[in-house]
Amino acid sequence: MSSADQTTEVTRGQWLRALSALEPEKLTAQVAALTEEWQITPRSLPQSGLAMLKIRESAGGESFYLGEIPLTTTWLEIRDPDGGQAQGAAQIMADNLDLARALALCDGILAGKLIGHEIVRALVRQGWQRCQAEEQKRRAMLATTRVDFSLLDDVGESDGN
Amino acid sequence: MSYVAIKGGGRAIQGAEALLEYLRTEQGRGGLPLDLETIQSQLRFLHGRVMSEGGLYHPELAALAIKQFMGDSLEAAFALRAYRSTKPRLCESPVLDTGAMRLVRRISSAFKDIPGGQMLGASPDFSLRLLRLELLDESPERFQEIAASWLDDLPDDKMPDSLPKVLDHLRQEGLLPKYKVNLDSEPFDITREPLIFPVPRSAALATMARAETGSLLGIAYSNMRGYGDVHPTVAEMRVGYLPILLPHPVTGEAIEVGEVLITECEVVAMYEESGDHDIPRFTLGYGACFGHNEVKALAMAILDRSLQKGMRDGPANPSEDPEFVLLHIDGIDSMGFCTHYKMPHYVTFQSDMDRLRTTQKKETLKRVKEKQQ
Repeated sequence: MSSADQTTEVTRGQWLRALSALEPEKLTAQVAALTEEWQITPRSLPQSGLAMLKIRESAGGESFYLGEIPLTTTWLEIRDPDGGQAQGAAQIMADNLDLARALALCDGILAGKLIGHEIVRALVRQGWQRCQAEEQKRRAMLATTRVDFSLLDDVGESDGN
Repeated sequence: MSYVAIKGGGRAIQGAEALLEYLRTEQGRGGLPLDLETIQSQLRFLHGRVMSEGGLYHPELAALAIKQFMGDSLEAAFALRAYRSTKPRLCESPVLDTGAMRLVRRISSAFKDIPGGQMLGASPDFSLRLLRLELLDESPERFQEIAASWLDDLPDDKMPDSLPKVLDHLRQEGLLPKYKVNLDSEPFDITREPLIFPVPRSAALATMARAETGSLLGIAYSNMRGYGDVHPTVAEMRVGYLPILLPHPVTGEAIEVGEVLITECEVVAMYEESGDHDIPRFTLGYGACFGHNEVKALAMAILDRSLQKGMRDGPANPSEDPEFVLLHIDGIDSMGFCTHYKMPHYVTFQSDMDRLRTTQKKETLKRVKEKQQ
């Protein structure tokens, strides 16, 4: 399967991650241009604040708070000029209400296949490719530093590992 | 403790702030302001440390704090902590599993062969601590070339994104204690509740996760040198990106809202009877923090182990005493208390001098009387 084929299967749970990999200013501007005359109403109050991170430690299995992250949330009802309707939401790790709104719009446009969903899907593909490139880089960090701590006697004088 | 107002202090304070700002920009026309991306990238260990000690994973503002306070990690963490206190809390994450971390480094000093293998990642562990004098005159071209060249040679390796934990392997072999705690119990929130002892382990872990690295290291070092008997072996040290999952408001499905770089360390300590007529098993310690900070994660894991022992049997040395450890490792608390001594204490010191003079006078009189007798 080619990289392009893989990106067409990006699910709703991954749209946000993919779109977050794009430049925020460009994405915000593109979405604003696309939805200029649309009827957009907040389903809940957009908020910017913090979220506590709770993790499970692996020694005793207890949960504890590792710290906090910034969080901005937006949940919108969207109606396009053709009468198409959808709900879109976004939660992002940044203090950026404009970006959260743009991402929530993208979420709704894709979920409801509203006007311009092909454009947004192309953005998702573009972002997903960036995510994959980052993942490849991280895998390379592991692959290029894989180490074998076997005793020298076991491997001779080779430094291949 | 008393303070007195200083006449004309306002102008001097403004002057001191202006002078600080002058020093930040002292390079003048020949200089350029530090951009935040440069701080995040080229001062990454300091940057991670500030987020960890500030207790807030906010890469942009952590970089700003480093820039504003000219690299002073304590002041930068303080500013980040102050910022967080102005923001509302919107939610907390579900319990996240660090097994899902997207690793960039993973080592074990317990076993040379661990499932999935060992990867050194970016580490100076096996390098000589010698100055690279060629960096004294590093050109932008050469600087950019290094990264480009590394990226050009990426192997097309089918490595998995995440790997199983060494502890899971040991647990399957019956060498480790089983999870005993109530997995549904809510952890202690140190940002909203004061530490009143005894505190649960979750309070200790959260306090250590945002503790100052040097303070943690100092107390853990006392245990390593002999004031304690943890004798740790690093089962696993992992550095990687933990996906943050929150429920989607519309679908309720857990979706990834971002990721945080964390360091996680699990140490195996001395084995002991685990009670309940069970066979002896190894004891464990756990450490984790924001950013890439292995010293902090390891020191935390050692102290987690020593504190567990102290909580159960009573402390036999400082590193096993929860009150001693947990009340002395916060950088903002300790720095604040330390630096307050620089503030005017004229009234209290005047009082000390008055008392000393009175005591001296009495002592002199007493000696004169003794001589006369």
